[in-house]
Amino acid sequence: MLRAALKGMAARKARLALTSIAIILGSAFIAAALVLTASIQATVDDLNAEAYAGADALVQPADAESRSEDLVQQGIPAEALAAVESTAGVDHVAATVSWAISAIGDNGKVVGGLAPTTAVNWGDEARERELREGRAPETDGEVAVSAKFAADSGLGLGETVTAYSQTTDQTEYAIVGVYGYAGGRDSISGGTEIAFTTAEAQRLVFDGEDAYSVLAVYAADGTGADDLVAALEPVIGAESQVTSWEDYNAEASAQTAKLTKTIGNFLLGFGLVAVFVSVFLIANTFSIVIAGRLKEIAMMRAIGAGRGQVVRSILAEALLLGTIAAAVGAAVGVAGGAGLTAAIANSFFDAAQVSVAVPPTAILAALAVGIGVTVLAALVPAVRASRVPPVEAMRAAAKTDRPITLLTVSGAIIALAGGGAMALGLTGNLGGDTADLTGTAVGAGLVFVGVTMLTAWLSKPLVGALGLIWSWNFAGKLGRRNAGRNPRRTAVTASALMIGVTLVTATATLLTSVKASIEDYFGEAVKAELFVTGPAVSEVPASFDPAVMDDIRAIDDVDAAVEVYYDIADIDGTDQYVNTTTDFGGIVDLFGGTLAEGDSDELADDEIAVNQSAADELGVGMGDIVTATFSRGTEAHEFTVAAILVDNENTDGWYVAPAYVEEFYTTKPMMALVDVADGADIDAVTAAVDDALADEPEVSAQNHEEFVGEVTVFFDFAIIAIQLLLGLAMIVAVIGVINTLILSVLERTRELGMLRAIGMTRGQTVRMVIVESVTIALFGAVLGVAVGLGLGWALQNALADSGVDVFAVPTTLIAGYLAAAVLVGLLAAIAPAARAAKTNILGAIAYE
Amino acid sequence: MPLSTPPAPQSLQHAPGPQHRRPAVTATGLWRAYGSGEAQVVALRDVSVAFAAGRFTAIMGPSGSGKSTLMHCLAGLDTTDRGTVDIGGTIITGMGDKALTKLRRDKIGFIFQQFNLLPTLTAEENILLPASIAGAKADPAWISQIIRTLDLQERLTHKPTELSGGQQQRVACARALATRPEVIFADEPTGNLDTRSSGEVLRFLRKSVDDFGQTIVMVTHDPSAAAYADRVVFLADGQIVRDLDRPTADAVIDTMRGFENRVPLAGEAA
Repeated sequence: MLRAALKGMAARKARLALTSIAIILGSAFIAAALVLTASIQATVDDLNAEAYAGADALVQPADAESRSEDLVQQGIPAEALAAVESTAGVDHVAATVSWAISAIGDNGKVVGGLAPTTAVNWGDEARERELREGRAPETDGEVAVSAKFAADSGLGLGETVTAYSQTTDQTEYAIVGVYGYAGGRDSISGGTEIAFTTAEAQRLVFDGEDAYSVLAVYAADGTGADDLVAALEPVIGAESQVTSWEDYNAEASAQTAKLTKTIGNFLLGFGLVAVFVSVFLIANTFSIVIAGRLKEIAMMRAIGAGRGQVVRSILAEALLLGTIAAAVGAAVGVAGGAGLTAAIANSFFDAAQVSVAVPPTAILAALAVGIGVTVLAALVPAVRASRVPPVEAMRAAAKTDRPITLLTVSGAIIALAGGGAMALGLTGNLGGDTADLTGTAVGAGLVFVGVTMLTAWLSKPLVGALGLIWSWNFAGKLGRRNAGRNPRRTAVTASALMIGVTLVTATATLLTSVKASIEDYFGEAVKAELFVTGPAVSEVPASFDPAVMDDIRAIDDVDAAVEVYYDIADIDGTDQYVNTTTDFGGIVDLFGGTLAEGDSDELADDEIAVNQSAADELGVGMGDIVTATFSRGTEAHEFTVAAILVDNENTDGWYVAPAYVEEFYTTKPMMALVDVADGADIDAVTAAVDDALADEPEVSAQNHEEFVGEVTVFFDFAIIAIQLLLGLAMIVAVIGVINTLILSVLERTRELGMLRAIGMTRGQTVRMVIVESVTIALFGAVLGVAVGLGLGWALQNALADSGVDVFAVPTTLIAGYLAAAVLVGLLAAIAPAARAAKTNILGAIAYE
Repeated sequence: MPLSTPPAPQSLQHAPGPQHRRPAVTATGLWRAYGSGEAQVVALRDVSVAFAAGRFTAIMGPSGSGKSTLMHCLAGLDTTDRGTVDIGGTIITGMGDKALTKLRRDKIGFIFQQFNLLPTLTAEENILLPASIAGAKADPAWISQIIRTLDLQERLTHKPTELSGGQQQRVACARALATRPEVIFADEPTGNLDTRSSGEVLRFLRKSVDDFGQTIVMVTHDPSAAAYADRVVFLADGQIVRDLDRPTADAVIDTMRGFENRVPLAGEAA
């Protein structure tokens, strides 16, 4: 008896340790998220504080980000600089010109990829630069480059670099110097930088205007920062604003906080999924542990322990487990968060030093969540155990499963209610788009919860059906029966996997449907075969010299080629997407647009065209007048609405005559559409177009598939991110399946002994456990795929009006999820199968 | 008693008596000890015994006499320290796990006191279990004959939980017989049954010996169960102390009572 008790305890220890891994994961992610957020914030704050160090006040353009996407770059006029310099209390002023430009490396590609190169004027005092080689640029044809730029571009001292901005043509510059930054760093935050003369920097950034990005103002002795700001405010003019250096830094810090919060929320999301899935696992483990101790509990009850005492003793165990696991999780999370910060800081920020901040909230939140979840999850099994009458538990009789009727009925009701809400929402019967969409989403959530509750009921037929895969083999048949033996336990075990698979399948289905819808549209409606465009994921939008359009039009088999310019303009006080092109009719035609009102004649300089919903948004119609100011424009223009387009994602937006291109932020086209003659060799034309684009490193000719791929590249990132979530849920699922299987093997020791005695081999025993494991895992995955597909379908239908009119199943991904489930099953089976194979026949069949 | 001491010669009267038929199972000079040093317990001391084919033998003895160990060693479930076991002409002592498993599957049938049936399988599937494990097809005529004899026709599709204890044990008997094994080992097969069910099971075991020529070795501590056997072998302190042919329940009880008064046996044997 003593040996059996010790054995049981050891087994339980292993099981508790496994369970604690789930708690540790959840707590660790939460702690890591909070530590990472705080540490990156601290590190970036330190970096930011280096900027304009020593200055007392900063003058910046007023309303620097008046329109979305940061596109607008306004300068501080030279008069303001003169006024500041002559203000009392000012010692000196350092004027900075700084903005993103494009520079071409020795491989012919644009340097920097996602992070653009920054143009600055040598001699500003924004950063402490240290010349390493050569000298400072002295003429407009000379530049000094940062060490990071030299490394990334492959260009060095004595060579020439080609650079251009949104408004200038490609220009060659001689590299006369290479510099680093204080602390021996090659870059600040990993960015590449080129320093020009002030005049050349102004030509690139402000289209030649004598303007500046920032004025760093140093106070004379005896003048405080606040006094300085107060003195400057009246003299800088309406287009500029002044802040103290401290306020500037606080603002920069707030900007960083936005970014770090996004990263932190992402990790927090992971933590929450881990925690959610853990609840099932922990509840299951406690049910199992308690089931094994029913006799002990009954004995305690018989000698006078109250129900409350039983509950309390179990909760105390949960509390202990939760505390230990959450503490370990918090420690792991803090260490992980610090390590991650160092990795991120070194690879992305090139920070001189990494500041690790451990906010008390990180540890408190990790502990609270870990302990809270464990205790909550143990509560249900604890209360259940306390309700067992002492006599019943003392009987040696086999434990009969509690009926699952209540669970099934409530699950069915919830799922049906959810289905109803979804149906109403999808058919637009809830009144109003928002209500319909909300109804559909809430319905989808309810269906999810309902199906989770129905898993126990579903497990019987589904596990049986899945198990048929193995029925050619007797050990497989036994394994299949075993998997279906305890529906409740199988269901809880499979739920962990189901939740993860449902999430990823629903997301992947929706995104695949969106992609398919776009592809479908391109295949049917878009007349242009080729697109000249750059990567969607670059900070500086790709642009090219419009002169190449003539070369493209000259290519044989090119029927038409139209370039498009974009800008974000202020129209009647709102930010609006504006296009212009030399061929308005052509662009509408090639992109598959249709006109609701008006015609596709060339737009006159005082005419504007717009799609229906944008017109509705501003409440304008044909013949109405709107006022528009473009990014670089200094005055508003009046336009008459001359045509209205049917809504269509590709042609949505406003259209004006090409006369206004000079007032656009980017004065060069960003995209061109090429119509290839029917029957022509598209590959040959693509090659010819690419030849014409040889000197335009940012853009290339793309066919439909490539273009849609570019447009939808964010979906791929989203799918990868969501897949990581699945990975996490899978780790927890493996633990859950191991837990359940080890228990099953322990419970069936005598049965296993009998089977081995009458001639079952070790190999067959192993196979039996593996099949049970894989069947449970597949059950979870199949349910998840089914629910995920259903939810994905519902979401697609809800969004059908927005153009997602094709339902596409991500078959490869789903096959991957099922394969992953099999892998989960196999991994989880290793230890339990080994244990089952080692069953001591004599020990198993001997009686006490 | 340390194992290094040479075994005392077994007195002839306990040696296997002359057999009319070939032995199905033969044990020769079996020794089995558990633990070591001071704590060593010798479960079998130089046991030699043969079980004739087509006969029903009961092994009896008080608790701790070694009767279960003897059965486990005979059935290849436990290893021996010394001596050999021969089943149907094959020496099984020293065989590896794989070979032993195959031997148990093909040549031995088991009936245990409890945990005899797989709860996930129906009665019929349980009967066919050894054949299924072997991946072989059972002889349908033979199986239906057993099922009829055991009166299980109406119960074939039932799960074990839907059967009474007696019915369960009859299913276990059918399973043991299904592969026509060389020998069936029954370990207290009636230990958990009421008198009526016990009678049914024992009568069937008797019948399978008489009608089908099955060899059965049964461990029991119930004298009335032993009375169904052709022969009773009595064990005490790891040695065979009496061998009774054609026993009656009264004779068994007398014998048992006999060596309850004859303590200590081990000293006598040494």
